[in-house]
Amino acid sequence: MEGNKESNKHIIGGIGMMKINDYVEGLFKDIPSSSEKEDIMQEIILNLDEKVQDLIEQGKGEEDAINKSIVDFGDATEIKNSLMQSSNVELNTKKKINYSNRMWFSIWGSAMIIGLFLFINLYYNDRDIWFVYPTFAILWWPLASIFALLNNRKK
Amino acid sequence: MISSDIIRGHLDAVILKLIIEKDRYGYEISKEISKRTDNTFEIKEATLYAVFQRLDKNEFIISYSGQITHGRKRKYYKVTELGQSYFKEKVNEWKETKKVINTLLEESV
Repeated sequence: MEGNKESNKHIIGGIGMMKINDYVEGLFKDIPSSSEKEDIMQEIILNLDEKVQDLIEQGKGEEDAINKSIVDFGDATEIKNSLMQSSNVELNTKKKINYSNRMWFSIWGSAMIIGLFLFINLYYNDRDIWFVYPTFAILWWPLASIFALLNNRKK
Repeated sequence: MISSDIIRGHLDAVILKLIIEKDRYGYEISKEISKRTDNTFEIKEATLYAVFQRLDKNEFIISYSGQITHGRKRKYYKVTELGQSYFKEKVNEWKETKKVINTLLEESV
């Protein structure tokens, strides 16, 4: 008899956990993925599942136990808002790094291209100093990224 | 039925006290609250988790992985030094509040 009870408990846990799983995933579906979100979802699912098990042990039917646990859960708005805030912070810090990298990339890249034109100009011993023309054009690139970075820093 | 608004303001202290007694996980705290108040106050899980998040962000508590249940690890909470002082502050706040309201609501002799 004991053995049967144990295995039943395990099966019920399996199906019940799926319903709880679906409920929690539904709650947080509009929140962008993050390790924090995954962490909280796991915690909630595990705890809700234990609550369902307890209610079943107290004699409630599986469906009733699951429904009661879900109803007792309450309003998840505060949790969701808090998660949204932290995911926004993650996104913003990532943006800053992009701007700085972009600027350095543009400076190196344009320096190399200008250097190449300069080399060709000198190598072919041209009378004209024509490399200045493409140089002016290329300088648009690092200039734009420097101003983009400054703009971002001001914010 | 107790007004949940009034209790809400003091949830931080209530939950911290339970964690100070011993490290606990979410559902354990919920069960303990129901048990001690003889089911007069049953905390909504969503409220509980929101408090955990806030206490954790303010570094009043920290979490760690504990026993394995259903093949996954439970998240336990533990109080920090900062949390201890915050708790004392909150308890004093409540004592003051209780004194004031009791005085004002007392039948005038």
